[in-house]
Amino acid sequence: MKIAVLVKQVPGTESPLPIQSNQNWVDEGAVAYVMNESDNYALEEALQIREANDEGEVVAVSLGPDRSQKVIREALAKGADRGIHIQLDTAGMIDPLVTASYFADTFKDENFDLIFTGLQSDDLGMGQTGIILGELLGMSTASMAMATEVGGGKIKVKRELEAGWFQWVSLSLPASVSIQSGLNVPRYPSLKGIMGAKKKEIKVVTPSVANQSQSVEKVYVPQSDKQTVMIEGSVEQIVGKLVETFRNEIKVL
Amino acid sequence: MPDFQFSNIEKIILTLGTIGCLGSFGYEVWRRFKIVLKGRESLPFDRLGVRCWRVIREVLFHEKVMGGRFWPGLMHGLVFWGFLVFGLITIDHFATGFGVPLLSESLHHAYSYFGIPFAILVLIGIIALAYRRFMIRPAPLGKTSPTSGFVALFIAVLMLTYIYGEFDLSPMVWKINWWLHTSVILAFLWLVPRSKHLHLVLAPVNIFFRPFEQPYHTAVNIDLEGSEDELDSTLVDLTRMTKNQVLDVFSCVECGRCIDVCPANRGGGILDPKNHFILDLRQPLLDQGNVDVLGTINVEAGWECTTCQACTEVCPVGNYVEKSDEIRRLEVLVEGKVPQEYQKLFMNLQESGNTEGHASSPLADRLPSYTPDMEYVLWLGCFARYGLDPNFTKSVENFTKILEVAGVSYGVLENEHCSGDPANRLGDKLTYTMLREHNMEQLAHAKKVVTLCPHCALNLEKEYGKYAEVTYRVFHHTQVIEQLITEGRIKVKKGSEGKVTYHDPCNLSRMLDEVDAPRTAIQASVDDFFELEESGRNTLCCGAGGGLWWKKETKGRTHLVRAEQVVASGADTVVTGCNFCFGMMNQGLKPLTPEGQTEIQVKDVADIVAENLVKIPSV
Repeated sequence: MKIAVLVKQVPGTESPLPIQSNQNWVDEGAVAYVMNESDNYALEEALQIREANDEGEVVAVSLGPDRSQKVIREALAKGADRGIHIQLDTAGMIDPLVTASYFADTFKDENFDLIFTGLQSDDLGMGQTGIILGELLGMSTASMAMATEVGGGKIKVKRELEAGWFQWVSLSLPASVSIQSGLNVPRYPSLKGIMGAKKKEIKVVTPSVANQSQSVEKVYVPQSDKQTVMIEGSVEQIVGKLVETFRNEIKVL
Repeated sequence: MPDFQFSNIEKIILTLGTIGCLGSFGYEVWRRFKIVLKGRESLPFDRLGVRCWRVIREVLFHEKVMGGRFWPGLMHGLVFWGFLVFGLITIDHFATGFGVPLLSESLHHAYSYFGIPFAILVLIGIIALAYRRFMIRPAPLGKTSPTSGFVALFIAVLMLTYIYGEFDLSPMVWKINWWLHTSVILAFLWLVPRSKHLHLVLAPVNIFFRPFEQPYHTAVNIDLEGSEDELDSTLVDLTRMTKNQVLDVFSCVECGRCIDVCPANRGGGILDPKNHFILDLRQPLLDQGNVDVLGTINVEAGWECTTCQACTEVCPVGNYVEKSDEIRRLEVLVEGKVPQEYQKLFMNLQESGNTEGHASSPLADRLPSYTPDMEYVLWLGCFARYGLDPNFTKSVENFTKILEVAGVSYGVLENEHCSGDPANRLGDKLTYTMLREHNMEQLAHAKKVVTLCPHCALNLEKEYGKYAEVTYRVFHHTQVIEQLITEGRIKVKKGSEGKVTYHDPCNLSRMLDEVDAPRTAIQASVDDFFELEESGRNTLCCGAGGGLWWKKETKGRTHLVRAEQVVASGADTVVTGCNFCFGMMNQGLKPLTPEGQTEIQVKDVADIVAENLVKIPSV
């Protein structure tokens, strides 16, 4: 079983996000980056499948500038067998089709049985890369996995539907599945893992830059302002006006 | 004593019995001692005078045996002091059997005026202890074992046969009585090393060797550039006990005082320090004859520990009970099994150098920056820097006000990182290494450091000192305040805050051994001060120690037990000397205060002093 896990480096939840003066992107130099949360769960799921089967390979793949190697190294420390770094400046890149095609090109000769991605990235939140990638490579795809079971050339995936409903789907391999946070208990890199990771291979791939069909217009912090409206009149009038305001203006009713 | 003769057959039986039982005793003790010697580190012989004085206080005077459990402790004392008196009697008893009595008849008779009253006291002691163990059955003693019954019976028979033997008896009755006494002594010799009663041999030794530093967590040196063999030997070492720890396990008398005082246990957790940290290791040590058994400690229990050291403080046989550090570092460094909230904490520490992952601290920004001409580095710690309890910001400002009034110069480090306390206590010694190295660089030119956080204070000096030479001195802010008051550099008047009590933080009282400075400061500032029942070095942890502040879900009520005591004490104000205790009290007191009752005010020592400061016009 050969499993690829897409691990993305994203700004940490407490990180400052200063915007560049030209409003094209954030000032990446001031950002504290971490591994995308659901990618961490995807990695754990892959490692557990490999351990349960006693054989196989888990490959951690990341697309981004040099700094992205840090999350690959982290994945190797946790137990991934090798890494692939698709080296590319991703500032302003927001097109999931283009992103997925970089991975698809890189994976042409890898013949992965499974591709795991996090459900979505914590920075852009497109939630499409893993699914498009699966389609590009002619794989079965499933999103929002809450549990997986691998066996007999298939993967069974428990998907979350609306309103507390779930669905088990069975996919033939190869398959690409996007994984939700919380489906397992991710491990922490052990000392042996950290030391061992230094000797593991990270293959660096430098693709030619493709044209994007989507681009960023402007990056800015949403403006918020306060408005105070005094409602006067009898209790009934006030209540009537409040209900109307809540329903039609603030739209919370 | 009549001059009864022993036949040769009797002497042969006596000789074989004595050699057999002494030999078995010696073998069992040696078997255990060999395992002790396989432990890491060496047994300490430094500060001999202090060590001997400690043995006298804790063994001869029963300081810890009677502390906390006075009556059972006194009863034990009666038995113990009786044993000392009986040393000479027992040797003479055996010598008589071999036909060479040590004491003349008149001396023997004279000694009995001393021996018989003691025998009666021992009887009172052992009957009281047996009544407690078998009739009252306090839970911390654990399951009642037949061995304890035998020992009680043996001691009683020894005393009775001794007293009986002092009467005018016919040769026949005297001889039977003599052999009964002898058999019990020999049986005792056989039983002692195979049971917790080995403590009568090992407790004095163990108390002598007890390390001085608290907590007794050995340094874990990690060299990421080292070879694979070095790493392997580091990892193997993590599973190995030290000589002191092995000695502890064989010395344990199973009294369960450590369970009585454990905040996790009292809060309804599973942690049982007597079994999880000590007795669970006894059989593996004996079975394997080796010391690499730390992996057998219960993991869940290990994560519950607040590392408050109450169990160690109370132990009457000199054990360093707590072993959460041992099991946590195995879980983190070897197994990589870390609760998710702690993984987040470790990531924050690695990425941002602070527990919260914040990029900047408004409090640090408005305080003066340290320059080498200043007297103190004011070490804030993450709790204060990032407002883990927003009310504590005021406490820091109150302390800086005190410094300013006294004309003491201070500044904060711009590049202060977490002291590493949570990483250290939660077993992530690698992250701890990173933080320690960073901070020691930042403090390279500092002479004196003052902090409001006892966790930081402990780490910056004592814990860092286990790895490298520390060139600066670290003070807790209560120590600086005490000094300013006694030197008359600040003047404080006694204000009225109602009934005021003080909660001793464990890191300050037990680990930094400071219980006086905060009291001096508080008593100078208030007129109605009273002590909580558990205070000083016998304080009860607030529940936040050992990194548990960052624990999300707690099964038990460890975090509320102390706050409940404070509510029950009837205090109007509770003062603490630790930001974590401050935060825990603030969180705990509100929901615990009965309806209609005014909520107890929580203050830091700096608050209570600053509020009652008399402004001296500058000279």
